[in-house]
Amino acid sequence: MTNRERAMNILHFRPADRMPAVHFGYWQELLDEWAAQGKIPADLAEGNFDGSAKEAELDRLIGWDFNWYRTYGSSNHLAPGFETKVIETLPDGTRRVQNADGIIERIKPGITSIPSEDDYLLKDREAFEKLYKPRMQYMPGRVDLEFYSRFNEIRPYDVPVGLHLGSVMGNIRNITTVTGMSYLLYSEDEELFADIVDTYAEMQYKCAEAILQTGAKFDFAHYWEDICFKNGPLMSPAVFDELCAKHYKKRNDLCRRYGIDVISLDCDGVIGKLLPTWVENGVNTMFPIEVGVWGDQFEPARMKFGKEVLGVGGMDKTALREDRAAVDREIERMRRLASLGGFIPCPDHRLMPGTKFELVQYYAEKIKEIRP
Amino acid sequence: MSILEEISENLQKGRAKVVKELVQNAVDSGVDPETVLKEGLLPGMSVIGERFKNNEVYVPEVLVAARAMNMGAQVLKPYLERAGIKAAGKICLGTVQGDLHDIGKNLVKMMMEGKGLEVVDLGTDVSPDTFIRTAIDQNCQIIACSALLTTTMGVMEEVVNKAVEAGIRDRVKIMIGGAPVDEAFCRKIGADCYTPDAASAAEAAAGFCASMGA
Repeated sequence: MTNRERAMNILHFRPADRMPAVHFGYWQELLDEWAAQGKIPADLAEGNFDGSAKEAELDRLIGWDFNWYRTYGSSNHLAPGFETKVIETLPDGTRRVQNADGIIERIKPGITSIPSEDDYLLKDREAFEKLYKPRMQYMPGRVDLEFYSRFNEIRPYDVPVGLHLGSVMGNIRNITTVTGMSYLLYSEDEELFADIVDTYAEMQYKCAEAILQTGAKFDFAHYWEDICFKNGPLMSPAVFDELCAKHYKKRNDLCRRYGIDVISLDCDGVIGKLLPTWVENGVNTMFPIEVGVWGDQFEPARMKFGKEVLGVGGMDKTALREDRAAVDREIERMRRLASLGGFIPCPDHRLMPGTKFELVQYYAEKIKEIRP
Repeated sequence: MSILEEISENLQKGRAKVVKELVQNAVDSGVDPETVLKEGLLPGMSVIGERFKNNEVYVPEVLVAARAMNMGAQVLKPYLERAGIKAAGKICLGTVQGDLHDIGKNLVKMMMEGKGLEVVDLGTDVSPDTFIRTAIDQNCQIIACSALLTTTMGVMEEVVNKAVEAGIRDRVKIMIGGAPVDEAFCRKIGADCYTPDAASAAEAAAGFCASMGA
């Protein structure tokens, strides 16, 4: 069996000879750390991203079968992006930079976590109509039709590959900030936020449609959202449903018309309250199910929605910073979850600094011993 | 409905301009500014905090309510200063060194201000020394540390240790919060209080300040 067959069989509740060892990539700092420790060749720490040749080489070194995040998509965001420019440099070296989304970020030297957001451009109807709406239109060039016309000849067939559908709300949050999103939701212009969501979603739908019309074949489709945190969603589930449900349904119906019936969604945090919107509108595979940092769980979703909900993720990656006993406990937990069917264990986010190389090798070896 | 109830209701709905107008009207019509604060703005924010804690409202509703409260508070500020009205306590708050995430920290700030507490917002990437120096210089009763990253939560322990070294541990409470931390971590590093959400953090801070006679 290929890893593609293993994964797709498991996600369709069909037999597979063993569990594939699936991962979700690494923090760059971890790759640098492993290189400094002599665990991996230094050149594997550079340019190692989802689906890259270097990632495949590192997969072999560790014993991974594949990264779930092997997806192909389009230029389905703001086009063109805003000019990236330094607004000011502060005495401590901190730079205030306008990024391609129109967000003013504060970037501090020596800090590698995400920048903090100082300000944003999308504050009112005028900014939307003049600055953003034109950048949210479908146009030739968003989809590389030539590439997708050859896609079935050049895509790998030993691992599952996905069509990236973009995002319904996550990218809107990105271009407005959490604060801006909140103010826009409660703007005196009551239609404004919905107009933004609808305009953006329509462009993303057309991108997905253009790709699928080329005949390109995918094993699954995938969204990125990141719209939840430790205590649940960043916005009211009712508002989320009102704004987003129809767009998920439209895009997911499109996918199913083209034979894609595994539709996964990457959302960090505790996602339970948004599950109804996703599941009822065709998203069926939750990823990465963050149990370690955020305390999310897969079982309640399965109990509530039955086999309509699949999972990729759910393995507490922090065990990979501890010892074999901690990893063994996670393996046993994964064995129980795998027995439910329709579930593929995967570390619950990108592996972070402090993760022990030998423990990752050990986990990759042991997870393959699970018989789905 | 009294004007104070109207202020509270509109604050809960995030109607900032209306709140600002109502607060000004209340003061102009002779309502004591401290009463407007304590019986109009703060109860409204308390309701939002409680509903947030119970997952009845979400981050956007808190943010727009806090914006409304700030606009109302700005109207009151000169009156309260003239009357010598002081905050119910003082907290220095920040996201710890190496971490630039600030959404959680900002929510905590809003909720604490909604309890009538004064918050010295140190921003993000705050060193342990800065927390300690600020607590001493500004006579804060509480140091509140936020972190989102497992790689930065260790800084909280340094804050506790620095407070001990500075000799202020007996008069300054240390609170922690954020995605990777929990009660067990709080006990392990010797902090005083972990809270799982912003509203609980504000309640705990108000409780500490009251017990410390702030």
